[in-house]
Amino acid sequence: MKVDIGPVTRLEGHLSIHTTVENNVITEAKCVGEMFRGFEFFLRGRDPLDAQQITQRICGVCPYAHAIASSYAQENAYKLNVPPNGRILHNLIQGANHLYDYLLHFYQLSALDFVDVTAILKYKGSDSDLTTLRDWVKAEVSSKASFPAAPFLPRLSGQYISDADINIGALKHYIESLEIQKKANKASAIFGGKFPHATAIFPGGCTQNPTIDHISSYRSLILEVRDFIHKKYIPDILAVAGGFPEYWNIGQSKGGFLSFGLLPIGPEPDSKRLFAPGVLSGDKIAHVDFDAIREDVKYSRYSSPSGLKVKDGDLTPSSQKAGAYSWVKAPRYLGKMMEVGPAARILVDYLQNNNPQVKQLVDKFAGVAGIKAGNLNSVLGRHLCRAITAVVVADFLLDETERIDIEGPYMAQYDLPKSSEGFGATEASRGALLHYIRVKDYKIEKYECVVPTTWNCSPRDDNDQPGALESALVGTKVENPEEQIESNRIVHSFDPCLGCAVH
Amino acid sequence: MINRREFLKLAACLSASFGLSNFPTIVSAALKKIDYKTVPRLIYLQGQSCTGCSISLLQAESPNAVSMITQYSKLCFHADLSATSGKQALNLIEEYISGRAGEYFLAVEGAIPWGMPEACVLGDKPFGDYLTAAAKTMSGAVAIGTCASHGGIPAAEGNLTDAVSLKEFYKRKNINPLLIDIPGCPVHPDWVWKTIIHLVQVGLPELTNGQPKLFFDRKVHEQCPRYHDFQQEMFAQKLGDKGCLFKLGCLGPDTYADCPTRWWNGGQTWCVDANAPCIGCASPLFASKKKFPFYRSFEQAALGISEDNK
Repeated sequence: MKVDIGPVTRLEGHLSIHTTVENNVITEAKCVGEMFRGFEFFLRGRDPLDAQQITQRICGVCPYAHAIASSYAQENAYKLNVPPNGRILHNLIQGANHLYDYLLHFYQLSALDFVDVTAILKYKGSDSDLTTLRDWVKAEVSSKASFPAAPFLPRLSGQYISDADINIGALKHYIESLEIQKKANKASAIFGGKFPHATAIFPGGCTQNPTIDHISSYRSLILEVRDFIHKKYIPDILAVAGGFPEYWNIGQSKGGFLSFGLLPIGPEPDSKRLFAPGVLSGDKIAHVDFDAIREDVKYSRYSSPSGLKVKDGDLTPSSQKAGAYSWVKAPRYLGKMMEVGPAARILVDYLQNNNPQVKQLVDKFAGVAGIKAGNLNSVLGRHLCRAITAVVVADFLLDETERIDIEGPYMAQYDLPKSSEGFGATEASRGALLHYIRVKDYKIEKYECVVPTTWNCSPRDDNDQPGALESALVGTKVENPEEQIESNRIVHSFDPCLGCAVH
Repeated sequence: MINRREFLKLAACLSASFGLSNFPTIVSAALKKIDYKTVPRLIYLQGQSCTGCSISLLQAESPNAVSMITQYSKLCFHADLSATSGKQALNLIEEYISGRAGEYFLAVEGAIPWGMPEACVLGDKPFGDYLTAAAKTMSGAVAIGTCASHGGIPAAEGNLTDAVSLKEFYKRKNINPLLIDIPGCPVHPDWVWKTIIHLVQVGLPELTNGQPKLFFDRKVHEQCPRYHDFQQEMFAQKLGDKGCLFKLGCLGPDTYADCPTRWWNGGQTWCVDANAPCIGCASPLFASKKKFPFYRSFEQAALGISEDNK
């Protein structure tokens, strides 16, 4: 039977998934991106310094990642000498954004797939948040409202956590995390100017001069967020894993893994990164080559040529194109399908022995959960890898603040060339993000973005290979084929952002 | 024109949906007079959006989230928060838009692709179809952010979808619903919440160009703490400098918003305090023309033009 499980909620943007289910097993899945704006087209002819502003509007959930990728691309194009403070401030802004994003993703976007909201009805404690929530749900459920207790009900049918303490704890943290994510965003806004959509980020640094006033506020906010990560976020993930251990083996993507590396340690373009870049194919790790990326459009709604390199990228929408089923393109690396995101970032770093803290955390949690590194390619693995990233990033941000020279420059000096081109690559919270800019006569001639969810939610490519999420859904057993809570758990583990994917 | 009763209803609906728990006593007392059972629901839909406004609304500082949701929640659907999904979610939306589920207000984030309806689809229908149908049943609509209010980035010069604002969409359809614009890229959470507080406390706020005058009456430049620098001609010469940012391209003189007194992220900072020129994100002209870049060199600013033909 054919079942469309879209629009899938609790993710950014417009995603449907067309599934074929036989004997309660998914035999085919198609990811359908349903919204198009055409950023790469309307950026053409604009002033190059507009780019780090306009590309942030690709995504209001992770705008800073686009500002950073655009800044790197322009630094590369203009051959800027970035002062050490400039790079540190970029890192402080981007790193804090990762922390907020992981908390939002786990609690607001994913937790309701596992946690039983109705458990609150049996709450007997005295916490005022929880008693208020309980009384409200009771009143709603007994009212004659059309949809009582929305937006928490209705929900998909399926098995939720049965342990009352775990449910109650997670609901309490759902509420607390809303306060904590604001603190991470305040921290990044200190140097970014505001969140979402920072105005102070530029190629070569940031316009906000670092002072002891700024730095001490930043550190204090990050310390609070870090405390929540260690004391609540990680225990909650392990508790969910304890209730659903089968999800260490569900939702495996069936291609390679790609990470561009996150947070350069130092201002030079080739500085080592906190999380190393790399391509993992089978058990082989290789260096990343941007020329190995091609974007196919056989099943995407574009009439522009298929299989173009990033530098040659093009965009002619064709909304009625025969056979096309998505606005998302299909990027491939040396022709292979790749998963990007937290699992890719951690696996690529772990297998290269880059960051000792990553290795130590992976080994520790694998021991606790009784899994192998290979199980990180799974629903629970992606959640765990976000948490590992959060722990490593939070510690690094505190260290970075110690390296600021408050007397030193924080912005590069500009002398923009008439013509230039450059790549900028980073890890958004959702994975590998690449921007490419080409400037001619002081204007943008070409701008291309290959975005994490473009990889993960890609349709089939020219060789009919499915995308990462499509491949992860196939083979999944579903209790209720009409609703598929199991598929929703897999989709959410990728944290799709369709605004990003299509752009 | 909107009457006070409709506005109060809208106020209650919005404040209930996102929750505001720390109103002044007089305000919360007024809110409580509204019968909980009759507060209309809010259906929050996204068109050509980036979700930045939704994320911004979560940054509202004062309220305690749980008391907001539990005491006043009537937010019946929001794609980022709702537990429901798929056909179940579509059914919920359809029940309201068909008029079967009771009174509701519509909140819209994002632009609408007038020239390419397939460029924004929900379920198997173009997004615009929901808006057209909702116009017959909703009590009113709120355009959240610059895309929904003015077209914003999706409607930038050279866009391929002929993206339009909510008001332009309805205008082209010859529909004239109750509609309030609250621009900003993203919208400031206070602009949404405090509009409601004003409504509840003293009644209908004055609108200017369809926007609450309370927040959009004066230009950023007029209220800027660096106005003194402007008068003294202490201008920033390059990015990262202190002083008036006008000659770097600051759009404070063209933009109506109260950022200089309100600040962002719970009063932590705002663009100009971070030495970043205002880019006019709440303006109807935000990012609309290629020949007006966000940042200008000293000489360009003096001439008031871009280096278009350099």
